[in-house]
Amino acid sequence: MSSCRKRCKREMFKFAQYLYRLITGTLHADSVEDELELSAVRHRPEGLEQLEALTRFNRKELQILYRGFKNECPSGVVNEDTFKVIYSQFFPQGDASMYAHFLFNAFDTDKDGSVSFEDFVMGLSILLRGSVQEKLNWAFNLYDINKDGYITKEEMLDIMKAIYDMMGKCTYPLLKDDTPRQHVEIFFQKMDKNKDGVVTIDEFIDCCQNDENIMRSMQLFENVI
Amino acid sequence: MAAGVAAWLPFARAAAIGWMPVASAPMPTPPPDNRRKQDGLILLNVSGQKFQTWRNTLERYPDTLLGSTEREFFFHEETNEYFFDRDPDIFRHILNFYRTGKLHYPRQECISAYDEELAFFGIIPEIIGDCCYEEYKDRRRENQERIQDDEDSENQNDMVPPDMTFRETMWRAFENPHTSTMALVFYYVTGFFIAVSVMANVVETVPCGTLQNRVKQVSCGERYALAFFCLDTACVMIFTVEYLLRLMAAPSRWNFIKSVMSVIDVVAIMPYYIGLVMTDNEDVSGAFVTLRVFRVFRIFKFSRHSAGLRILGYTLKSCASELGFLLFSLTMAIIIFATVMFYAEKGSSASKFTSIPAAFWYTIVTMTTLGYGDMVPKTIVGKIVGSVCSLSGVLVIALPVPVIVSNFSRIYHQSQRADKRRAQKKTKLGRIAARKSGGTSAYLQYKSNGLLSDLIDEVTVDPSQALVCKANPMFDTHHNHLLHCLEKTTNHEFVDEQTFETSLLEVSMAKHPPHSPSLSSGSSSQGLSCCSRRNKRKSFNVPNSNMTGGHRNSIQELSTIHIRERPITNSRSSLNAKFEETVPLNCKQPYITAAVITLPTPPVTTPENDGSASSPDYSQANIVRVSAL
Repeated sequence: MSSCRKRCKREMFKFAQYLYRLITGTLHADSVEDELELSAVRHRPEGLEQLEALTRFNRKELQILYRGFKNECPSGVVNEDTFKVIYSQFFPQGDASMYAHFLFNAFDTDKDGSVSFEDFVMGLSILLRGSVQEKLNWAFNLYDINKDGYITKEEMLDIMKAIYDMMGKCTYPLLKDDTPRQHVEIFFQKMDKNKDGVVTIDEFIDCCQNDENIMRSMQLFENVI
Repeated sequence: MAAGVAAWLPFARAAAIGWMPVASAPMPTPPPDNRRKQDGLILLNVSGQKFQTWRNTLERYPDTLLGSTEREFFFHEETNEYFFDRDPDIFRHILNFYRTGKLHYPRQECISAYDEELAFFGIIPEIIGDCCYEEYKDRRRENQERIQDDEDSENQNDMVPPDMTFRETMWRAFENPHTSTMALVFYYVTGFFIAVSVMANVVETVPCGTLQNRVKQVSCGERYALAFFCLDTACVMIFTVEYLLRLMAAPSRWNFIKSVMSVIDVVAIMPYYIGLVMTDNEDVSGAFVTLRVFRVFRIFKFSRHSAGLRILGYTLKSCASELGFLLFSLTMAIIIFATVMFYAEKGSSASKFTSIPAAFWYTIVTMTTLGYGDMVPKTIVGKIVGSVCSLSGVLVIALPVPVIVSNFSRIYHQSQRADKRRAQKKTKLGRIAARKSGGTSAYLQYKSNGLLSDLIDEVTVDPSQALVCKANPMFDTHHNHLLHCLEKTTNHEFVDEQTFETSLLEVSMAKHPPHSPSLSSGSSSQGLSCCSRRNKRKSFNVPNSNMTGGHRNSIQELSTIHIRERPITNSRSSLNAKFEETVPLNCKQPYITAAVITLPTPPVTTPENDGSASSPDYSQANIVRVSAL
């Protein structure tokens, strides 16, 4: 009962306040106490020397990379939405948001919801300057959505759908609904040696190393920077 | 794609490795990477202010000046920088465009200067970012309007092209009364008669004393019926004539008939004619009386005479939505309050609020704070409702009014600006004319002082040149020399306006009948051919088409014109002595369309059978046949 009364009193008090404000002319509830605006997250990367040590880029390349990075993300970190926006601009005819989501997860190695410059540059270092083994490792990491060490058919289907989404509608020949699924079947046939329905990292790396096309295509983007 | 995002392309390409394992077909070969050259800093010196940026930044947009090889034209070897002699303040924005991919428009810059800079650097203005695009478009539109205004009034105020038909002259007189005296007179006369007509309508109804055998007052209209009828007739006569004249002169009659002013005119004079037709019929004379009400529309004819009235009408038209909203909200409030009032006062005895529509009147009178007092609530509830009604009335009416007022103010200021521009235009044209005349008179002075004295004319500057600031004597010298070369080339001379006009008049008086066309055409063709053969013979295309454009119609039948050189009277005598070998064809004389003038040069007197033979003694009186092309 006392709590009831207390609540009643509180309500009465609030109503009296409201009437008072109505009479004096201010009806906005919290006109004085503004919420302290959450200051934007700022992040400063490690020094150049540390980054040079961590990655395989030299100073100049790091400088160029950082300038481009900072231009798009002045705060120093990329969150997933910005990431999606940036990546989508490269694929205007389709929907690149799903693939960007997976990419983001692949770059965000410390899982803090944002990709800092270190994450970014380390990822790039693997992709551009790493050994084939490392690249394949990275690709496996990308496909393994829940990072449990196995690629299941569902995970692969998600990835495949994301890739096909980037194509958009206007393709030749026409994209059918089960094209991703068929592609996943082909992939699993190739990769899944012991036919247990999942692909492990060793199966993946073995299979890719035996495939000429894949080996050749891994070297494709060597001199991007 | 924004330029900044382009910097992420390497990342996107690297991320493509993720597709490789699932790819079923081999990948295409990557394009050759010819971007091996190091990304260096570029120094841009814009009028002394130095800007630096990466070379790659500039090359993001290869179809602009800075991004393409065009910038090499501006490379300055001594200082190893690119020098541009342009405005550094605006350049800042242009460089920012390269950096951020967004072009902004600075509000304090002049729109034409900005457009020029954009055009110079090869950037299309359509890529201005959304934040600044509206402002840019507004300013651009204003500028265009200003230019259009200038052109329009220039076309209007030009020397009247004399070949306007009578109909066009009349229409012009109607639309712009200040162009000619007749038009002005007409304008004032019609205005006067509109006023007279309106006053007569008003005075007609004033009681004018009693007739002998009647008790009640009689209006002036009935007492002096004949006088008023005559006055009315006269006014309607004038209005009818005016309307018919306008209808005749209108360039597009259908458009004219559809226009508002024409409708007002018709409504103003129709009642009279209908009345004339209908006086003998008894039962429709009641309608005839109502028709007289329409005579009051004559007062709207004043809107042709008053710009303010037109502005008011235009404002009301443009505020139609606000007015509509006002009306709608008022209606809503009226209905609500009338209903409440009716039911509140239903109980009281002998209440005037007999029905809800009856209560409308009370509500309107109360909401507009008029308060006649013919209907008053008696119950307490009624009085409360009445007070709330009057308070809310003030609010509802006060809300849309500022919108209408601001609209009116904007339109009024716009028209004032137009007037101001027109007033300024006179001084502007005066400045331009002074500059032009200063320039030509400088040249004429230069010539009269003798061709070889370049800098003496500095001293003998005449007052008209005081308006023209002479900044660069060397420039003037070269310019004068250039004009002289032109004179020599065309064998004509520059003259000032008065002498030209007098000569025009003279030539128009002394028109020669046309020769037979065959002869002249033969002569023209042969003249041409002979010109090509004889290079000693000078053939000139007279360029001054604008000089004779006005008289084009009148000389269409003329195929050959005689141009007689007048003996030089005024200060040209000294010139004449020098220009011996050429025929000093002053522009005083000529009456030339695009014609080929074949002039015989003095030493060559070979007779040609082409009709352009010249008399040997031409030093004083040269007759040159000009065949009109």
